[in-house]
Amino acid sequence: MSLLEVKGLTRLFGRLRAVDGVSFTLEAGVILGFIGPNGAGKSTTMRMLATLDLPSSGEVLIDGHSAIEEPDRARPLIGYMPDRYGTYEDMTVFEFLDFFARAYRLKGKERRERVQSVMEFARLTELKDKLTSELSKGMKQRVALGRTLLHDPRLLILDEPADGLDPRARIELRELLKALAEEGKAVLISSHILTELSEICDACAIIEQGKLLAQGPVSEILARAQGGGATELCLRLAGAGEESLSWAERLLLEQPGVSKVSADGAGLRVRLEPVGGQGAPGWVEEASARLLRQLIDAGLPVCSFQVREADLEDAFMSVTRGRVQ
Amino acid sequence: MTAGPAPLAVAEAPLSLAPAPPPSPTRTERWAERTADRLNPIVVKEIRQGLRTKVFWVCFALMLFACLVLSLVAFAAARERAFDSGGREFFYAYFFCLGVVQFFVIPYSAYRSLAREREEETWVLLTLTGLGPRRILLGKLGSFLVQAMLYGSAAGPFLVFSYYLNGIDLPTILLVLALGAAYTAFLTALSVSAATLAEQRFLRALTHFGVLGVLIGGTALGLSVAYAITEDSSLLRDDDFLPAMGGCLWAMLSYGALLFEAAAARLSLPTESYARGVRLAFLVQAVLSAGIGVYAWVHENLDEEVALVAQLLGCIHLGVVGLLLATDVDGMVGRHRVGTRIFSLLRPGALRGYRLVMVVLGLSSALWGTLCLVSPGSVEPEELSALIACGAYVALYVSLPILVTRLIPFPPYRAPAVARLSALALLFLAGGAPPLAAAIITGDPAEPAFNVFNPFVGVVNFAERRADSGWELLLLCAVAAISALAADHVLARRDAPKSAQAERAPSPEGA
Repeated sequence: MSLLEVKGLTRLFGRLRAVDGVSFTLEAGVILGFIGPNGAGKSTTMRMLATLDLPSSGEVLIDGHSAIEEPDRARPLIGYMPDRYGTYEDMTVFEFLDFFARAYRLKGKERRERVQSVMEFARLTELKDKLTSELSKGMKQRVALGRTLLHDPRLLILDEPADGLDPRARIELRELLKALAEEGKAVLISSHILTELSEICDACAIIEQGKLLAQGPVSEILARAQGGGATELCLRLAGAGEESLSWAERLLLEQPGVSKVSADGAGLRVRLEPVGGQGAPGWVEEASARLLRQLIDAGLPVCSFQVREADLEDAFMSVTRGRVQ
Repeated sequence: MTAGPAPLAVAEAPLSLAPAPPPSPTRTERWAERTADRLNPIVVKEIRQGLRTKVFWVCFALMLFACLVLSLVAFAAARERAFDSGGREFFYAYFFCLGVVQFFVIPYSAYRSLAREREEETWVLLTLTGLGPRRILLGKLGSFLVQAMLYGSAAGPFLVFSYYLNGIDLPTILLVLALGAAYTAFLTALSVSAATLAEQRFLRALTHFGVLGVLIGGTALGLSVAYAITEDSSLLRDDDFLPAMGGCLWAMLSYGALLFEAAAARLSLPTESYARGVRLAFLVQAVLSAGIGVYAWVHENLDEEVALVAQLLGCIHLGVVGLLLATDVDGMVGRHRVGTRIFSLLRPGALRGYRLVMVVLGLSSALWGTLCLVSPGSVEPEELSALIACGAYVALYVSLPILVTRLIPFPPYRAPAVARLSALALLFLAGGAPPLAAAIITGDPAEPAFNVFNPFVGVVNFAERRADSGWELLLLCAVAAISALAADHVLARRDAPKSAQAERAPSPEGA
C-alpha cells in the first residue's frame, strides 16, 4: 500500500477549478517533486493533503487513513512545512523546538531526546541559544524543517522549501532531504528551482492550471521529454579555423535530421530532430553516433562531442504551456 | 550527482534521527519540567514571550513608578491631614494606573498576539499539532490573564496602602477589584475574538482600528464606573446596586464565554465540528439567564414587569446573537452527517443554527408569556401584545435575510456576511421608511397601520395600545410565521447533500 494516495482531488473556488482531478501515489522512502508554474494549484493541493483545507471532491489517503474523514488520524503522520517558515522571532531555536515538542504532547525525557536529536540532525545544536530573528534564511529554514520532524511524521509535505536560499543552504537542504528519504520517509516537495529537484527527486509530478500533466519517475519523465522532440549537440574541432568550421557546417547540414547548425565560439551547436517527426526511444544516441562517424570519416579533428541531456526544465517546458488561471 | 564545490558541514557526519543522549537534568529541573508538562504549552510560550517584550517591562516600570510617586504624595498629604479620609482619592489614583494597563494594554496585547499568529501563518503550524483552537485560545487568554495578575500583584501593596489612609472601606475596594478583574477578562476575550474576524489585509486594518477604539472606550467606561463606585460608597447599601452588579458580572462572564467559543469556531479547520462549542455556550447562556430571570420574578413578588423586561432583553439578545448563529454556511462535512437527526442542533450548518435559534425564541417567549399570565397582578392586554410582538419581530428579522440571500442565484451572495449585512439593511429600511411614509400621509410618524413591521416603533405602539384592533398583531405574527417556515424550507433544501461538492463546501467562516 502506498503511503500517500491521492484520487481525483478537486478544489473549486467559485467557478475556478484550482485543482482539477489530481491523482498520484507516493511510496515510503521516495522524494516526489511537485512542479508547476505560479498559480498552478501546488500549494492548494498541499494544503488539502495537510488536512488544512477540504477538497470539493476526491480522496486523500495517508497510510490508509482518509485526510478528509479521519483528519485526526492522518495529521500525526504528516509533517507540513508551508512556504512561509513561521518562526517566532522572540524565541531561541531551542525554545521554539521545545514549544512545538510540547504542543505535540511529547513529555519529559522523550521530549528532551527528540528535540536534541532533531537539533543534531538539522545541524542546529550550535544555534540553540540564538533568537530565531538573528538567523539567516537558510538557518530558519532548517529550524522549520526541524519543527516538521519533531513528531516523527512518515510523510513530509514541503512547500517551496528552497525558495530564497543561497547555494550552500540549498545543498544542505538537499542532503537533509536525502537523509530523510533514506530513513524511509516519503517526501513531497514543491519548488520552482527545477535543477535542485532533478538532483534530489526520485519521481516528479507536473501540474498546470490545476491539472496533473505528467507524473512518474524522473528518468521516465526525462526520457519522455527527450523522446518526442529535438535535441542539441555541441562539438569542437581541434585547432579549427573558419574554413574547417564552415566545411563541418556544410557537412552536418547534409545529414538527415540536422535542422540547424550555428557557430558557438570555437565550436558548433547542432540541432537534431528525429526523422519522420517522432523519434523512437534511443534515437538520439543512434543519430549522434552516426553524425560523429561522418565527421571523423571526413577527417575533421573532433576534440569534443557532447549530447546535451534533457533535464527537468526541458521536461517542464515541453509539458506545460505557461498558462495561468 | 555532484556533492558540491566545497566540503560542507552536512557532509562531515552521517545524518540520522536516532536519539542522542541529552545532558541529565537536576532534581529541581525535573520537578519544573513535570510541572511545565502539565501546563498548556501555549501558556508557557506566551508568558515566556510576553515577559521578553518591551511593552511589558515599560508598562510595568511606568505603573510602579506612578504608584510610588503617588505613595509619596499620599504619605505627605496624610501627615498634613493626620491620616484623615484621603484613602478614597488615592485608591482611585492607584486603580487608575492599574486600570489603564488592565483594560487597555493587556487586551490589546492579546489581540496583537493572536492577530500576529494569523498574519505570520504560525497559526497553521499550531493547529497541525493537534492542540485544537479552543486549547490554543485558552492558552492565549490564560497567559495574558497571568500577566494581568503580575501587574495586579505589583499594584496590590499600593491598593492596600490606600485602605490605611482611611476614607474607603474594604468591601468597596474588593468590589472594585473583583469587577475590574472580570472586566479585564471580558475585554481580553473580546479582543482575542476580534483577532479572528478578518482575513484580508484591509479588513484586518479596519478591525485593528475598531479594537483600538473599543478598548479606549472600554477603558474610559471601566475607569468611570470604578470612579462612581469609589466616590459614592453608599451605593453598596442600595438594594438595587448589588443585583445590578451581579447582572453585569453575569453578562461579562456569559458573553465572554460566547465570544471565546465564537473565536474557537472561526479558527476551527473545515474538517472539525466547529459549531458545537458556540451553540452550546449560547444554549447554556439562554438557560441560565432564564433561570436568573425566573429567580428575579419570584424575588420581586411575581411581578409581571420582570417577565416583560426579560422578554424584551432576551429578544434583543436573540435578535443579535441568533442572527449570527442562524446565518452560518449551508450543509456540513460528510462525516458529521452520520447520525445527524432533525434535532441535532449543535452540529454545523445554517439549518441547525436557525432551528436552534427558533426553538430558543419559542421557548423563551412561552416562558415569559406564561409568567405574565400567572402573575397575580392583572396583566394588561397591551403588555401581552408587546411581549408577543417582540418574539415575532425577532423571528421575522432573522428569517428574512436568510430568505433574501438564499433566493439570490449567485453563490457569493449567500455568504454569512452578506446575510448579516442584509439583516442590517432590512432593519434600517423597516425602521426608517414606514415613519417617513406615515408622516407624509397621515402626519403621525408613529401611525400603527404603517409601522406594523417596524420593530422599533411597533413594539412601543403595541405596548402603549396605539394599535387598537388585533389585526396588526395578527398580521405581524402571520408574516413572521410564514417567513420562518419559508426560511426553514429553503435552508432544509440547501442542506441536503446533492453531490460530494455540496457536502464538502462548508467552512467555519460563518460561525
